[in-house]
Amino acid sequence: MKFMKPLAIGATAALMLAPAAHAEFGATLKTIQDRGSLSCTGHNGSFPGMAEVDDKGSWIGFDIDLCRALATAIFGAFEGHLTIQPTSWAQRWPSLQSGELDIVIKSSGWTMSRDTDTSLQFSRPYMMAGINYATHADNGSVKVADLDGGTMCVQAGTTYERYAVEHAQANDYTMEVVPFETTEASKAAFLSGRCDAYMDWDLQLAVMRATAVDDPESIKILPDVLSAEPLGFVMRQGDDQWVDVSNWLMSILLLADEAGVTSENVDEMKANPPTPAVGTMLGVTPGVGTRIGLSDDWAYNVIKQLGNYNEIWERNMGQGSAYKLERGVNGLIRDGGILHSLVLD
Amino acid sequence: MTDQIAVFIPPHSNIAQRLRKRFFSSAMNSVITIIVGLFLAWAVWNVFNWAILNAVWASPDGTSKVCHGIEGACWAVIDVRWRLIIFGLFPFEEQWRSTFACIVIVMVAIMSCVPFFWKPMRLGPLWVVGFAIFYTLMAGGVFGLSYVGPADWGGLTLTVFVYAAGVLIGMPTAIALALLRRSELPVIAKTTGAIIDAVRSLPLVSILFTAALILPFVLPGFLVGDKIWRVIIGFALFFAAYQAEIIRSGIQALPSGQEEAAKALGLTYWQRINRIILPQAFRNALPPTINQFVITFKETSLIVIIGFFEVLASGNAAFGSGEWSHAWVEVYCFVAMIYFVFVFSLSRYGAYLERHLRVGQH
Repeated sequence: MKFMKPLAIGATAALMLAPAAHAEFGATLKTIQDRGSLSCTGHNGSFPGMAEVDDKGSWIGFDIDLCRALATAIFGAFEGHLTIQPTSWAQRWPSLQSGELDIVIKSSGWTMSRDTDTSLQFSRPYMMAGINYATHADNGSVKVADLDGGTMCVQAGTTYERYAVEHAQANDYTMEVVPFETTEASKAAFLSGRCDAYMDWDLQLAVMRATAVDDPESIKILPDVLSAEPLGFVMRQGDDQWVDVSNWLMSILLLADEAGVTSENVDEMKANPPTPAVGTMLGVTPGVGTRIGLSDDWAYNVIKQLGNYNEIWERNMGQGSAYKLERGVNGLIRDGGILHSLVLD
Repeated sequence: MTDQIAVFIPPHSNIAQRLRKRFFSSAMNSVITIIVGLFLAWAVWNVFNWAILNAVWASPDGTSKVCHGIEGACWAVIDVRWRLIIFGLFPFEEQWRSTFACIVIVMVAIMSCVPFFWKPMRLGPLWVVGFAIFYTLMAGGVFGLSYVGPADWGGLTLTVFVYAAGVLIGMPTAIALALLRRSELPVIAKTTGAIIDAVRSLPLVSILFTAALILPFVLPGFLVGDKIWRVIIGFALFFAAYQAEIIRSGIQALPSGQEEAAKALGLTYWQRINRIILPQAFRNALPPTINQFVITFKETSLIVIIGFFEVLASGNAAFGSGEWSHAWVEVYCFVAMIYFVFVFSLSRYGAYLERHLRVGQH
């Protein structure tokens, strides 16, 4: 994707020349409701785990399910109310600014230049792209410090090299860094046994484990997180109401996860809410929808059709998928992760 | 030159003699022949082993289990995912529409290769009808067909559509540009020249990017239209700039006496262009024109950058899952074969045209 960088910069520059595409409060949701469908991001090809295509040409993936959840929140069902636009990395921001897209849910990290110069607005992070180590399972390591004195393969000159050195210093172990020219070369070197460890976004490690070796059990992803990039929904600057919808969608998915509300038991929960917050969430007591311009049963519809955060995770990246990725840093705060819902009152 | 004379083969010699003369004429040649021959045999045997002998052709359960631990190619990925490669994101139950639409466009393209249709009065209606059928089938919304937006079009059908539409709009534009550039009015000739050179000096990717993503910011709302049409027009413009120069070279290769004689006969400008200049210019420019057509077909793969699911992108999606990502070589081979079928047919047709029009035999 390196050659796209000048392209992306060019596009960004062109955007800044174009009249600033600021959205008005509530305008995005109104446009979507008038149009009758949400325009959300897919991928131009496949990005395993987040946006891929099944045998029948239908989208699947974590990002895709979040698009579906958003469409369901607005319309009560996503079928017929969601357009997944195949979108390349370079194209994300211009397409969002021009109104072709209503929202970008495309594994996009929250950076300062995107937030300010490019006039974008981010939701609270829905996932941390955590940087972890993978190692060969037969060396018996359970944490990074067990690799003391080992080697790690990495692409030369990347931030990963720095993470490795800093983490080793801070945690008082030594790791010899073996630099390679390209990511592919360093990955191949790790897989061939040249190095004890290899560093990447944990999802990429899980994809590698599921696809690049005959026995997925032979590679272990260590739980230590060396760094993380927060991924958020991306919207046009200025429409705070739309940001509220995004944030509360994420919060509801997490609240349902915390409270054990799943697509299976949501009807029982609604009939007999265990806590006042669950009652409010499922629309038993009013307010969860009207305050953000949606109907009061939106959260019920989302959970009924897509499930809570954990169900979406397990279906696309976890045990229900080929990748078998643990929640790790994306676990709930009570499980040692960092995700938590906002307070529903 | 003496070497060439030495290996000149009289028409009567038998195969053994010919082989000896061609490949074993000296000790050095024999060694080279044997080494290269052995290498070729080794390579062919390996490819054959991989692609045919040890290959897995089908997956009964639709998963990649059959391919675990095999030495050869995993063609099962094509067996399971071919509809994704050919049709992209087009709704599964409606893919017969995409099939027919693709066949219609290819048929129209083949028909317009037949000399019978080489008249504007026949070619024009043929393509209008062809595109109308294509669009009705793909987009639907009428005759009880459900609506399918261009965001869901994909695969081979999309590639063929973008190519056909781009070339079809580009070709008349190219002729116009070539003629305008030869205009006797300096303003027109210089302006056209500047346009052609400007378009040629921009990379196609940036033209497509601008057409798809930047234009909506500057165009008034009613001119924006669907993204796919902006892209096709950008594509056509790029094709036209190159093709215009090819046509101009064909025109300039004509002896000036041709046009002067036509003038002396009292033919009008359009008569001269239509009957004297363009037919000969096209004949002169045939080899580079076919070349340009071939290049343009391959360049359609660039629309993936602006989020179109053309055949290469759907190929990427076909192996881009936990199930199939080991089988990318097989998918790329399959996509390469699709490109080969189209491009090879194009170049064979070009060769036929050259014979038919006796290019180079004035």
